[in-house]
Amino acid sequence: MLPVERIIGEEGLSATPDGLRLAMRLPWYRSLPFSTIEVGGVTIDGAPVDLAEARVEFDGAVWPLGELGEQTNAFWFVRDSAFLHIPGVAATPGSEHEVALTLFVSPPYIPGMKRHNLQTQTLRVA
Amino acid sequence: MNIATTQVAATGPQTGVTLYSFTNPWLTRKFDLKDLLHEVARRGMGPNIEIIGFQSFREFPDVSDAFAEDFRRMVAEAGLNPVSCAINSDRFLKPGQQPIDDAALVEYHKRQLRSAKKMGFSLVRYQFALPVHLLPEIAPYAEALDIRMGVEVHAPMWAGHPAVQAYGEMYEKLDTPYLGWIPDFGGTASRIPESMLNAARATGAKESLIDKLKEVWVEPGMSHEKAGRLREWGLAEGHEPDHIQAAGLAFFILSNHDPKSWAALVDRTIHIHGKFYGMGDDGREEAIDYETILPLFRDGGFTGTLVSEWEGHAYLSDDGFDQVEKHQAMCRRIFAGH
Repeated sequence: MLPVERIIGEEGLSATPDGLRLAMRLPWYRSLPFSTIEVGGVTIDGAPVDLAEARVEFDGAVWPLGELGEQTNAFWFVRDSAFLHIPGVAATPGSEHEVALTLFVSPPYIPGMKRHNLQTQTLRVA
Repeated sequence: MNIATTQVAATGPQTGVTLYSFTNPWLTRKFDLKDLLHEVARRGMGPNIEIIGFQSFREFPDVSDAFAEDFRRMVAEAGLNPVSCAINSDRFLKPGQQPIDDAALVEYHKRQLRSAKKMGFSLVRYQFALPVHLLPEIAPYAEALDIRMGVEVHAPMWAGHPAVQAYGEMYEKLDTPYLGWIPDFGGTASRIPESMLNAARATGAKESLIDKLKEVWVEPGMSHEKAGRLREWGLAEGHEPDHIQAAGLAFFILSNHDPKSWAALVDRTIHIHGKFYGMGDDGREEAIDYETILPLFRDGGFTGTLVSEWEGHAYLSDDGFDQVEKHQAMCRRIFAGH
């Protein structure tokens, strides 16, 4: 995997009081507004995760996943992880799970281009 | 050293590097900005550098006074000279919807111009996604800020492309030293880099697919049409979609226009992207004919900076440093007339 293809962040998967937190990296060479990013889906151990109540956290700001498309003036710095908060899903710290994440990126200066990115990795819950 | 070469050294084209060459160690967090600047300086790759605002600055497009001051201190301590800041013409902020309106796009450029100026850059790279009719509005702002703007002529564009010609006409009309060109040599590649083909082979692409890629790449037509042609053929012949995608990268970053066509743009060239993919043992670039291209600029009176821009990170995990050292040596040799 090339560095630019990485979408599961170094901080991995962690348990939070209300569910799980998954680190995500931007698969592009430069920062992009969050409005150009779509989370295509998450599976844990092969089972699709319901993202209806999911939130995205970056640099102190939190948005409902469904409102990511409105964030035209919030930039995902290419070196930093953003975090996907998934409420209502529990996992035991220390347990291992196969996580698959799909991200779509539509670079805002290349009309019509939509890149599909998928990464699957076994993560130990922190 | 005779008088002629002394003059070239003093006033001729300069070499430098864009931090984009080091995208891999940047994304893997091997270096932070300060350490990367010092590494570039330590290896003697400066002093002139280019930085992509949206790659290296967390606060871009609105850099604070405090960060601008930190940055100026960082580059001064490293002994580097921040020549060019690459800015972006992001028109399509909501995928699948209408582009942002002209006023918003102009303001988006002004924000980036102000940040670049504040950090001490002397020019910005901008993009053709900025419609040509907005240049009369942007140019006075750049003049007032005293920062030059160079539009990047990047594959699939080249000197003869209609968009480049439309910009050229507007440049003639506005006739200001604040607007110019930044050639990117990927638009005049003579062949597809072997390193790129090897990367496609490493993903499992078959030789018949590579052969077809080479054939379609030199045919006339738009990049996305040619990519579509290869895809259609490849699927019909039973090639894997992943292999076709890996092979098709070549259509989007390289095109095969005449290397001598840059001659038409030399006069208003303010900066150069020395795009490259791999340096051979013979000291030449594997795909782009620098021996033909660089003398056009050297003999045409270009006195700005050529920044080495290694883009092999699109398909290789290397850190880019060795490649840049070899590329700079080649460029200096050709600029010196050897």
